Amino acid sequence: MLARIEACIPALRRYATALLRNRDEADDLVHDCLARALDKLHTRREEADVRAWLFAIMHNLFISQARRRRSRPAPEALDDSHENATGLRPTQEDALFWRDLQRGLAMLPEEQRSVILLVSVEDLSYAEAAQVLGVPIGTIMSRLARGREKLREHTGQPGRPPLRRVK
Amino acid sequence: MSEHLISEADLHAYIDGELPPDRAADIARILQEHPEIAERAAVYDAQRDALRAGLASIAAEPVPPRLDLQAMIAARLAERRVRWRAAAAVLLAFLVGGAGGWALHDRLGGPPSDLTLLAEEAIANHVVYSADRRRPTELGAEQREDLARWVSTRLKRPVAPPDMGSMGFHYMGGRLAATPQGPAGLFMYQDASGQRLTVFVLPMPGAPDTEKHLEKVEGNAGCAWIDKGVGYTVVAPVPPAELHSLAEHVQQQFASQT
Repeated sequence: MLARIEACIPALRRYATALLRNRDEADDLVHDCLARALDKLHTRREEADVRAWLFAIMHNLFISQARRRRSRPAPEALDDSHENATGLRPTQEDALFWRDLQRGLAMLPEEQRSVILLVSVEDLSYAEAAQVLGVPIGTIMSRLARGREKLREHTGQPGRPPLRRVK
Repeated sequence: MSEHLISEADLHAYIDGELPPDRAADIARILQEHPEIAERAAVYDAQRDALRAGLASIAAEPVPPRLDLQAMIAARLAERRVRWRAAAAVLLAFLVGGAGGWALHDRLGGPPSDLTLLAEEAIANHVVYSADRRRPTELGAEQREDLARWVSTRLKRPVAPPDMGSMGFHYMGGRLAATPQGPAGLFMYQDASGQRLTVFVLPMPGAPDTEKHLEKVEGNAGCAWIDKGVGYTVVAPVPPAELHSLAEHVQQQFASQT
């Protein structure tokens, strides 16, 4: 069980960083999440779904903390060192697209942002994402559709433009 | 028009691999026939790929020490023991009064001896680290010299892992452990049946020398002693007599080191 929780920590950090766009606050959130998970460990019987369970704990903490600091200014984008730190050397076009995407993501309502991150980046199924966010699967699908469409409008073009049909 | 062929929900479920194979095949065919929908799907795909690539480095980083689950658990155990002890002392103060009561308090709930504190730390660390299947040690057996150097530096005295081979325990590695009294060295061994033994070394400046003594914490036993300002504890799930002879062996090894 502990090994399973440990295995999720890198993904929890990634999700928290993408949500908060601040590395220190993200690690604070992950720390709170792990502490809460250790508190609740004895209430868990089976090891299935540890990942969704942890993401749900973190999401609930994130929401209650967000309520407390609603008035503070919007956070900045991630610093440059992380913008291109993909392991591959990005083309300039990719880098620009990633920057636009980050800005677009920051402009989305939180509920759409978290669904996009959970499904696209963390590979949660719709059912798992619904469990994490405490909403029906239909809501997951509509938030995903609205969020991705807004991102598309914001970024205009993807990194490698698909074949474009002349209208 | 495309909207009649594919619902918005279908398109996203297709991209996210949520559709049953036959329905996914339908969608793939429709996308081939309708480039304007395929283009939109490609944009969503590109979004996903870019998000994954852009955020990948964060998950690839080593987890910072603050988020080390084992360390968090060790800290919680230590905190719980302190709370328990405080609660026990308060309870005793209520339950027993007068001189007789004080004598009892002195025996049962008074300040714990150096040896008890030492054994508690050793046993708590044994419980946390020996149960870890995946990463019981920080430096493995092949890094014996590195670990000896590291522990010696932090403990400010030469400390090398004792050899327990003649007692049937082979060396696995070790780590630095945290205690309220400062850093301690933890060496781990395993016998043929998979039972794990730990040797715990904690500098305790000023503490008087003691004989070897068996200490128990919640069902786990350790054999502890203090020699020239250093506390030693051997913890293993074996009968008391066996534990005592293992401790004897460790004691001789450390005596020959100094």
